[in-house]
Amino acid sequence: MTKAKNAILELQDVNFRYPDGSVGLNSCSMSIERGSRTAILGVNGAGKTTLFLHLNGILRPQSGQVLYDEASLDYGRESLHNLRSRIGLVFQNPDSQLFSASVREDVSFGPMNLGLGKEIVKERVADALHAVGLTDYADKPVHNLSFGQKKRVCIAGVLAMQPEVIILDEPMAGLDIAMQVELARILDSLHAEGMTIIIATHDIDFAYQWADTISIMVKGNCTATWQISDIANSIEQFGSYGLGVPRVAELHNALVKLRLSDNGNGYPRSHQELVKHLNEIVI
Amino acid sequence: MLIEQCAYTNRWRQVSPAAKGLFTSCGIVAAFVARSPLTTCCLAVIILAVAVVGARVSLFRFLKVALPAVLFLAVSAATLAVSVRWGGFPLRLQFHLVNKAELSHIALTCSRSLCGISALMFFSLTTPMTDIICLLRKLKFPEVMLDIMTLGYRALFVFLEVIHDTRTAQMARLGYATPRLAMRSLGILTANLTLQVWQRSNALHQAALARNNDGSLMFLEDEYHRPVLTLLTASCSGCALIALAMVPL
Ligand SMILES: Nc1ncnc2c1ncn2[C@@H]1O[C@H](COP(=O)(O)OP(=O)(O)O)[C@@H](O)[C@H]1O
Ligand SMILES: [Mg+2]
Repeated sequence: MTKAKNAILELQDVNFRYPDGSVGLNSCSMSIERGSRTAILGVNGAGKTTLFLHLNGILRPQSGQVLYDEASLDYGRESLHNLRSRIGLVFQNPDSQLFSASVREDVSFGPMNLGLGKEIVKERVADALHAVGLTDYADKPVHNLSFGQKKRVCIAGVLAMQPEVIILDEPMAGLDIAMQVELARILDSLHAEGMTIIIATHDIDFAYQWADTISIMVKGNCTATWQISDIANSIEQFGSYGLGVPRVAELHNALVKLRLSDNGNGYPRSHQELVKHLNEIVI
Repeated sequence: MLIEQCAYTNRWRQVSPAAKGLFTSCGIVAAFVARSPLTTCCLAVIILAVAVVGARVSLFRFLKVALPAVLFLAVSAATLAVSVRWGGFPLRLQFHLVNKAELSHIALTCSRSLCGISALMFFSLTTPMTDIICLLRKLKFPEVMLDIMTLGYRALFVFLEVIHDTRTAQMARLGYATPRLAMRSLGILTANLTLQVWQRSNALHQAALARNNDGSLMFLEDEYHRPVLTLLTASCSGCALIALAMVPL
């Protein structure tokens, strides 16, 4: 396992079991580079959510340690406050994380907890709602929003805290295609502003298209970490995890074998890129 | 849900809840100051008119929402006015109307309630729950109660959805085909709901921690349209109501 040059978050040999005995994390080691886009890939029950609860200090490793900014977490009140104000966590189910029935109120919840002044909170709420495209919904009751809109309210609630890292648990689950595209756009603009983004997903195609780094989780263990650029070259090996392979890489490789395409300007990462590449080739 | 919709869409949505609350309280005070049933009925109609003309709450909705309360009031009035007892020969139910003085007393009590209903309807149809909680917070209500109200109000919608989904799934598999099956399905639904409440409360706790919460739930207060002016208007019109109530009729 290669160590990232500039790790903002790191897990070292973390073990965690739930009270009922089920394995949450099993000597899991992983490091997240500052400013990167990381996708955590794993089947249901692989431990992605458990991992995220550790990164935010909600669960505490039973052995091993979690490092933030190269310092080990000490789980004191102050350091947890510090950690949670820098690391935003968006849970999978919007209905179990929205507190208030009013959109504006809910988004203000995090920054109010940071103890910021009213004027600053107001500004941040407006900025966060703007970033997710919900400015017009500020005064709407949460229960009248669609699932996708609720999800965006959750993201706004975390953005309003202006974290350095934003972690999203299965952000695409339950969204239709248009909303997925919209969410990807939001993630791109956050990344452009220098935010470190971590998502959990089991959609290999989306991960391949969006991330810089893919970490594979199997049964609570982070079995491998891949740079995106390495995947297309060793697609068989990548396929051996049983999570499937990126379809666009597979198709592209097949086309190259048949001499219908080439690796001219790198590997296409999405369907659209592949089509564009093919259109550019004069055969 | 009718109340909900109204509260969010009426024309006075952006008016500060303090102003609306003040007007409501004045309405209730006026109801008790008034000395005749006619005056109190007039007050009730005036408050209704304020809601309909001022806040543009549809008259139909206002009446529809008020109907259960008014019916209840009518039934209580009837039981107050008529006393029933066993007696006579042969033994039978005897109905007695109470005497005139008592009757007018009952009329006054009922019309006061009617006015109170009207005032409270005005408040709940123009003010969303979140605004009401916000107002109570400003009035220094205990934090714990407000937190429970906030979460309870939100949870209401979440669990209504859970109940709806579970029931639909059960009905799709003939869960309510016979009374016996219905009882069984209802039991399963209750059990399922209990479990969900427990799990969701756990999740909510984690979500609160993740957003750095330690203790009471704090939110940014809404800003309202010209708060001082509306509050002044509300207090003036409220006083007018009370003054009107004192006019002997
Ligand atoms: N609250 C809990 N109590 C007991 N076991 C749990 C709890 N949450 C998760 N688990 C178990 O821990 C394992 C990892 O779960 P999770 O982290 O939710 O996986 P993922 O998010 O990848 O689907 C699973 O086997 C799951 O059953
Ligand atoms: Mg999960």
